[in-house]
Amino acid sequence: MSNDIKTQLVVVGAGPGGYSAAFRAADLGLEVTLVEARSTLGGVCLNVGCIPSKALLHVAKVIDDARDMASHGVSFGEPKIDLDKIRSWKDKVVGQLTNGLGGMAKMRKVKVVNGFGKFTGANTLQVGDTKITFEHAIIAAGSEPVALPFIPKDDDRVIDSTGALELKDIPGEMLVLGGGIIGLEMGTVYRALGSKVSVVEFADQLVPAADADLVKAYTKYNSKNFNIMLSTKVTAVEAKKDGLYVTFEGKNAPEKAVRYDKILVAVGRKPNGNLLDATKAGVEVDERGFINVDKQLRTNVKHIHAIGDVIGQPMLAHKAVHEGHVAAEVIAGMKHYFDPRCIPSVAYTDPEMAWTGITEKEAKEQGLKVETATFPWAASGRAIASARTEGFTKLIFDKETHRILGGAIVGINAGEMLGEICLAVEMGADAEDIALTIHAHPTLNESIGLAAEIYEGSITDLPNPKAKKK
Amino acid sequence: MSIEIKVPDIGADEVEVTEILVKVGDKVKPEQSLINVEGDKAAMEIPSPEGGVVKEIKVKTGDKVATGSLIMLFEGDSEGKSASDNKDDGKDDAEKSEDKKSADKKSDDSKSDDKKSEDKKSDSKKSAGSASKDVEVPDIGGDPVEVTEILVKVGDSVKADQSLLSVEGDKASMEVPAPFDGKVKEIKVSVGDKVETGSLIMVFETATDDDADSDTSSEDNASEDTSKDDKKDDSKSDTKASEQSAAKADNKESTDKADKGDGFVENKAYAHASPVIRRLAREFGINLAKVNGTGRKGRVVKEDVQNYVKQLVKQAESGASSSASGAGSSMGFDLIAWPKVDFSKFGEVESKPLSRIQKLSGNNLHRNWVRIPHVTQFDEADITGLEDFRKEQNALAEKKKMGVKYTPLVFIMKAVAKALEEFPTFCSSLSEDGQSLILKKYIHLGIAVDTPNGLVVPVVKDVNKKGIIELSRELMEISAKAREGKLSSADMQGGCFTISSLGGIGGTAFTPIVNAPEVAILGVSKSEIKPKWNGKEFEPKLMVPLSVSYDHRVIDGALAARFTATLASYLADIRQIIM
Repeated sequence: MSNDIKTQLVVVGAGPGGYSAAFRAADLGLEVTLVEARSTLGGVCLNVGCIPSKALLHVAKVIDDARDMASHGVSFGEPKIDLDKIRSWKDKVVGQLTNGLGGMAKMRKVKVVNGFGKFTGANTLQVGDTKITFEHAIIAAGSEPVALPFIPKDDDRVIDSTGALELKDIPGEMLVLGGGIIGLEMGTVYRALGSKVSVVEFADQLVPAADADLVKAYTKYNSKNFNIMLSTKVTAVEAKKDGLYVTFEGKNAPEKAVRYDKILVAVGRKPNGNLLDATKAGVEVDERGFINVDKQLRTNVKHIHAIGDVIGQPMLAHKAVHEGHVAAEVIAGMKHYFDPRCIPSVAYTDPEMAWTGITEKEAKEQGLKVETATFPWAASGRAIASARTEGFTKLIFDKETHRILGGAIVGINAGEMLGEICLAVEMGADAEDIALTIHAHPTLNESIGLAAEIYEGSITDLPNPKAKKK
Repeated sequence: MSIEIKVPDIGADEVEVTEILVKVGDKVKPEQSLINVEGDKAAMEIPSPEGGVVKEIKVKTGDKVATGSLIMLFEGDSEGKSASDNKDDGKDDAEKSEDKKSADKKSDDSKSDDKKSEDKKSDSKKSAGSASKDVEVPDIGGDPVEVTEILVKVGDSVKADQSLLSVEGDKASMEVPAPFDGKVKEIKVSVGDKVETGSLIMVFETATDDDADSDTSSEDNASEDTSKDDKKDDSKSDTKASEQSAAKADNKESTDKADKGDGFVENKAYAHASPVIRRLAREFGINLAKVNGTGRKGRVVKEDVQNYVKQLVKQAESGASSSASGAGSSMGFDLIAWPKVDFSKFGEVESKPLSRIQKLSGNNLHRNWVRIPHVTQFDEADITGLEDFRKEQNALAEKKKMGVKYTPLVFIMKAVAKALEEFPTFCSSLSEDGQSLILKKYIHLGIAVDTPNGLVVPVVKDVNKKGIIELSRELMEISAKAREGKLSSADMQGGCFTISSLGGIGGTAFTPIVNAPEVAILGVSKSEIKPKWNGKEFEPKLMVPLSVSYDHRVIDGALAARFTATLASYLADIRQIIM
């Protein structure tokens, strides 16, 4: 049949992990076919995830900043919101990036096949009418939002992150179900656009993976912005004409059912491992849909690799990209391993929360002897000048070797600053290395150097607890 | 209680198990042979250190074992067979099943009855309402310490913090306390053992701790899951959590397995190295913990990895370089291919595999022959007087019933030892880098012995310090051992110079191959009465032919001629040996 394709490597899924793996493999001389169910490349991240949400968060930030200016002597008046224009701007951002990817795929002679790929054997994949025979495969099928059974399904007032990014309207009362990164980011957007946003979280802390002090600073800053219900869960949602009536249970539950115009369900994502008939290729998929791999991203079937969300937490684009590179390199014959010391996490909320390496929580669980040093942004000239002093920069060091094991930042631009800490962790820098690196003044970034100085006892921008006693 | 049977001290090398001589259930006497092993140099039997009933055999034919390897478990004589259930077999297995058990258990909790069979399986491994817990040496610092006293016995009930052992280190002695309550089920150490932080010392039986155990671990897993972003409030979250943790446990297990499969070395100890260095190390399969970092604060830099690899390569090259069989291989030389002949075209043939020792010594000989520039110096020694003396002494020994027979070889050994003292170059080895000579201050002689299994070279130590009688006894013993295939690799190590005597068989001379890393070898052929001109007439003299092959990189011709002549003169008048 003319539709049949023979290829050295097929990559199933063109999200950040998938296209990175495909492009890397192509650059290493392999003949690559990239299978993608969407019409554009980039996966959830580019189409309905990281990138469009950042576009909307940028809008939210400018609205908030403009409003805050009033107290510094500059007033712009109430913002006029043109949803259609915002939406088309967001779509333009997404289009620019996905088109760029399409171009790069062409340039690299990566063959893109649109359609849903399903394995039919250890070396064959069916995509619509097309049968692809491959020597190697990389499964990069990603994940999708978890839906909750007790919440009405075919009600357009119940949305997930994809629906939220569509920005159909600005609801008056909005409930965000799940206080994780995705829920808070979308909550931030809708709140800036004018919605009254409530967040309900089952755990006793928003973003449970992050250290409590980080989240505390965030929550304090946002106490007026969101109605946050911790240690509380939703037990029932009743769809009525005038709204969705939600019954809560738990510590901070309202007594009666509360009416909302929209519910954003953001309780997590589940892997797509079960959607590809991977078992027909002999690949083991666990009951949750995850595929197990070794440190070279190889599944139990030697010539089939898997990367990204489908192999486990954390479900992050940058993790998938690196895994994709390693998988492609291994297939090209290189003896590489996925062997990072840290994978950064960033919540692009306002203020941002960012952390990498070990958290204090994890250090405690693992019984590590650590010492932390925290530089409060209230002592940062740049933060004061930006009227955003709620943040802090925290570094976590091995108490014995003084080597940095991790770090966390809350505050504006925290995500942009995290890279230095990641590099320090990977390079095995110790407190002195960081403290002796000259950071530009005045920057928010210098707070990393200053936190290391606190640990070292050489800080002069704050009272020094390690100073000699007189 | 079971007794662990381990391989006794057979030197540093690994040997291969070629035969298992007992089976489970056999009653074994002390010194009875348990297994046959074959090493690089000899085959031998491993005797049982004590009596007992074979309970479990931990090796199979083809396995590699070394000094200290566990080969069998015996049921102690005192206990009889009744206690032989599977409870305390191999600790690893027990641990694994423990892990699995808790994973199974969790999924059972959430998934109800459909896994009953598995449940039963795990139950049967539990001893009713109790569980075994390993007791390890707590953190006592880095140095190993010696067990000087065991303060409890099997069956004792022990409270947490009660002393279990007295240990003594370089700096102090101390007592090791029990980490938790329990009943002593097994004691894994004995007085005199060395232990260190983390060593397994005992197994305790703890009452109904099993359930508590799996509960905590499930909680741990659950909380870990909560910390991940994917799990949010959800009416089903409880069941979900346990399902997830069960899956997680499985997940972990299989990833662990996979890790082992691809040889990924987890650098548990933090190696101070940046990502590119770690990648480089992975490519070479190097454990970074073993590389010395020369960068700032001990950071492993690229050069460190490169030097480490260079060093390994050098070692590998100077070690056994050629394992090629010779046939068909050009051995790194630019040679034409080995001729291929179908021998059966010309008559009947039979294919007989080379013995292990033949193959191994063949490889060694080939390497030595190719890599050492050999020269052989021929000479002969007048041993007329020596033979008269030897016969006299033998008669005397027989009369005195000393149970010893002096062979010419013993006298030759003695003469060689004396000559080596005078010519230390012959008692040396080239250094690994070939830049210097290592002179040995001891004189241990290798004696080539022909055995049914092949050629072996046991070593007689300190020949220069021993008398003829002692050497004769030793030589008899070691030759007998060699012929029976009972030489240990320790018996074959440390030689400085080798003697190969074919005098009992025949020949006028031959060219022995130097036994690397030695630098010379003496070949002895059959002695013969020859007419020797004494200036006036021919006298009949008993002459023994000597062939000294030497490594010309180390020894030059004149020196070799002098050495051989000196050796001949010592044999001609053995009184010189005592000078």
